[in-house]
Formats: sequence, structure tokens, C-alpha cells
Amino acid sequence: MLTAVKNQLRVCGLSVRYNIMREMLNRVTFLTNIGFMILNNATFIVQWIILFHLKEDIGGYHMSDVMLLWGLAASSYGLSRILFARAFALPGLIINGKLDAYLVQPKNVLLSVITSATNTSAIGDLIYGYLIVCLFCFSVSRLLLFTLFTITGTVIVTAFALLMGSLTFWFVRADAFGDNMINCLISFSTYPDGIFQGTARFLLYNIIPVGMAIYQPIHIMIEFDVRSLLTVLGYTILLSAIAILVFYRGLRRYSSSNLMEVRQ
Amino acid sequence: MNVIETENLSKTFRVKQKEKGIAGSMRAIFHPQIKEIPAVNRVSFSVEEGEALAFIGPNGAGKSTTIKMLTGILYPDGGRAEVLGMDPSRKRKPLACKIGTVFGQKEQLWTHLTPYDNFRFFGAIYDLSDKETESRIRELADIFDLNSFVNTPVRSLSLGQRIRCEIVASLIHRPRILFLDEPTIGLDPVVKENIRSLIRQMNKELHTTIFLTSHDIGDIEKLCKRIIIVNNGQIVLDNSMSHLKYHYLNRKILEVKQQEETAPPTAEGITVLKQKGSHIKLEVDTGVLRINDALRLINAEHVEDITISNIPLESIITEIYKSADAGI
Repeated sequence: MLTAVKNQLRVCGLSVRYNIMREMLNRVTFLTNIGFMILNNATFIVQWIILFHLKEDIGGYHMSDVMLLWGLAASSYGLSRILFARAFALPGLIINGKLDAYLVQPKNVLLSVITSATNTSAIGDLIYGYLIVCLFCFSVSRLLLFTLFTITGTVIVTAFALLMGSLTFWFVRADAFGDNMINCLISFSTYPDGIFQGTARFLLYNIIPVGMAIYQPIHIMIEFDVRSLLTVLGYTILLSAIAILVFYRGLRRYSSSNLMEVRQ
Repeated sequence: MNVIETENLSKTFRVKQKEKGIAGSMRAIFHPQIKEIPAVNRVSFSVEEGEALAFIGPNGAGKSTTIKMLTGILYPDGGRAEVLGMDPSRKRKPLACKIGTVFGQKEQLWTHLTPYDNFRFFGAIYDLSDKETESRIRELADIFDLNSFVNTPVRSLSLGQRIRCEIVASLIHRPRILFLDEPTIGLDPVVKENIRSLIRQMNKELHTTIFLTSHDIGDIEKLCKRIIIVNNGQIVLDNSMSHLKYHYLNRKILEVKQQEETAPPTAEGITVLKQKGSHIKLEVDTGVLRINDALRLINAEHVEDITISNIPLESIITEIYKSADAGI
């Protein structure tokens, strides 16, 4: 059992390494992609500086809290796109029959699929997240918590992308719906949760998992609470389990295709 | 010993139907119509260890769907499949360790990596140690003559070199069965022949069972001793290649070039396929008219050249497809 897990991790590690090697084929593109993503994220700091000049408190957040929010959103989404980029491209793989190559390998299909591509600009997101924490709200304990929540956030974002992508096993064109839901998750994760009330708040904590991926961890980093921490960890495990279950149920409906090529 | 067994294996695809135009698209939103298409319909056969089997049929006959069910890619809707004593849909991972697959239309190699790095990756996938992988790469690189380009990125290789690498990647773990789905598609005749001789060698020397689908008659004739023809998801013929040739080659093609234009011979059992000037092409049904008797009907004094040949296997197979379509 332990050997099997070790071997699976070895393959996933190789896969991620080869993906990054592919992205590094063109050094200039690789570095500019990362640089421009950091710059792109940084432009939003100006917007928030202006807003906090007009109002001291926005939805219960101060400037440093919003920076922490941005940092965690960027690092969670970034790490998810570095390690598990194909979770976001699942509908295309299902529709075009590109899961075949992974199904004939004696390895975990899900892990093999989602680790089979990476996104260069996401490295910029991850670096940006850590830069923000180090520059605006640094403390050792916060950095450790930030790392923990980057991991839980990555798992939640990936699991949600997997859930949305798996809908394509049942519904044609579910990819458009899934993309919208993932975009919602990303957009809402950069605004203080205090500004959302009623139905919007319910949606953000129950349907789109931004509450548990970003908001709750931010509250814990501002004011530590063990019960909230356990809730986030439990939610992460539960959502992952549901996503895995749905993916494998859907895989039974996979109908493959005879389109050319698997890897790109 | 049977390494593959299927019994009433079936798979049906549900395909959405839509009437033409935007109005049809609107109607399909509120009243979706689903059509069930039986891709594989109660197929039963078995394959012995070391056999080289051609599993052929026209496009949409159910060949690839059957291969995909046997390799664990697709779940069957009905019936039973057993490969090396395992149910492919339940024991996908242990089965994958013992079989190899080459899909000619789909590449599994990383194009930015060299074949060597790819083989190392596949070694890791099949849980081979670094030492085992290295020795296997050396062995296969020699057999498949890859040494001159084993360190060149895959994207820079020719199609023939790529296919050779694809096959090697599928053999890295010494599979007992090799599933080949159109392995020579798009290759030139020299490379095709090269690939065929390597597959033949593997089948003979390593006793690897070969399960081949191809539209290339050369692949089938040169690699396989047994043939299964499928059409509309059902088996229409399951027999040895020699039996197929013996029973279907009762017609000969007679090509005659004469010094001057003459009328073609007429008799029961003779069909004129083509006549252009002094060149005549006839088909002789030897069950009705012996070939000797057919030759006697031709005026030997005027003959410049004469050729007697068998009906091409391609024509025989096309005829079997057609007769199956017509329900004969």
C-alpha cells in the first residue's frame, strides 16, 4: 500500500516536473508570463488604496486584511493551477475522448489526469500571494497558517473545478456553466465577505465554496479559532471526497472518441 | 489457454438527435430526443495466448469500442469480458500492468521530451526500478533501432520514428497482450513493413498476443493468422486467414493482353471486369468453370501476355461487409 502511494507520488512528481520543463522551453515567455501575472495582480492594490482612503472599513476589513485576502486567493488559485491545471480543463478532455491515455495506465486516473498540465502564469499568482503576506502582514505564525490555508484553498478550488468539470459526463455544454461557477469563485474571493448579505452570503458559503476556501481562513488568520480551523479542514476533506466520488461515477459514463492526439 | 474471453459483450451509446436549423435547436432544448446506438451488440469470442488476431470492420463497426472495453477504457452495458482472467472494468490497474496499447490516431508521448525521457516516465508509471527501466530501454532501442534518435525531442521526429517510440513505450513493461488500433495509419510502405516485422518478431519470439485492428490489408495479411470481421456491432466472420482465403478465393482474376482487339470470351462463370483495346480483365468463378477451360476459350495465337491472380483480400473483405449489411 505504502509502495503504491510512493510510486503514485513519484509519477505525479515526474509529471509536474515535465510540465514545468515544457513551459520553460521558451525562457522569455516563461519569465514574462510570471512577471506580468504579478504585475496584473498588483494593479488591484492601487484600487484598494483609493477605496480605503475614502472609507476606513469595508465590510469589516481593513487594508491589511484585504491584502491578506488577495494574497490567499492568489496563492490558492495559483498553486491549484500549477499542480492540477487539468482539473480546469476536464470538460475538453471528456468531450474529446482524451482520458483514454490515462485509463490504460496502472495508476490513479484522477491524479494522472489533473497533474498532466501546468499553467506558467499561476507561478506568478503563487509568488504574488507570498510577497503580499511578507510585505503587508508578516508574522511567522501567520506565514505558517497562510501556507496551511493555501493548501486547503488549493484542494477546495481543485475539488470544485473537478466537480464542475465532471458535470460534462452527464450534460453536454456543462463546461460553460462550470467555467462561470469557477469564475464566480475567483471573483468573489477578492472581495471582503462582509459586503455580501442574505442570499449572496448563503451562496458563497454553501454553493460556491469561496467561504471555506478564502473567507473563513482569513478570519482565522485575523483571530485564531480552533473550531473554525477544524471546520475548514473537515470541509476540505468532505468536498474532496464528494468531487472524487462524482468524478468516478461520471467516468462510468465516459464514451471516449476517435479524435486525434492526447497530449499537447 | 485463453487470454481474452467475451460473452455477449454489448455497449450502447446514447446520442442526442436534433432537427435541422435554429428551430430544431430550440425544440431540442424542451423536447430532447435521444437515440440509442448499439456500438457493440452481443459479441462473443476468445483469443488464445500467443495468437495474432485481426479484428476488423468498416468505420463505426464497433472495433475500437470493443478494444476500449477490453482495455478498461469503457464500461460495457451488458455481457462479460475477461482479459488475462480479469474483468477490465473492475481490475483496470492490475490489468494495465499486463497489457500494452498503441492507438495509431492518439499519441501518448510527451512531445517536448526525448524518447529516452518518455520511456523513463513510462517506466515509473509501470513501477519499474531505474535499473530495470534503463536495461529495458537499451534492449528495446536495439530491437526497434532507436539509438540514432533516442535523445531527440519527440516533436522533431518523423511519423514513423514516433510510432516506433509509441510501440516501445507500450512494451516497456513486457505486456502479455498488445492491443494495436491502426498502428500503421499514415506511414509510408517502408516504415509500415518495418513496424510489421517488429510486431511479428515480438509475437514469435516473446509469444506476445497481438490484437490488431486496421483498415490496412497488408497489416492483416502479414501479421495475423486469424481474422474476426465485425459489422454493425456484430461478428460476421470468425475464422483463420487460410480458411478465409480458401473459401473466398474460388474466383481468379485473368488479365490478357492480345496483339489485336478481339471480343472477350463468353461462358457461364466468366465476368468481364474491364476491356480497353486489346487488354481484357476477366473474373473466373472456378466453382462453375475450371481455369483450364477458361484459358481454352482464349485464342492463344493472339496472346501477348497473360496473368492469373487471386482476388485481392481487400475485395473479399469489402464483399463480406456488404453481404453483412444486406443481411445475407
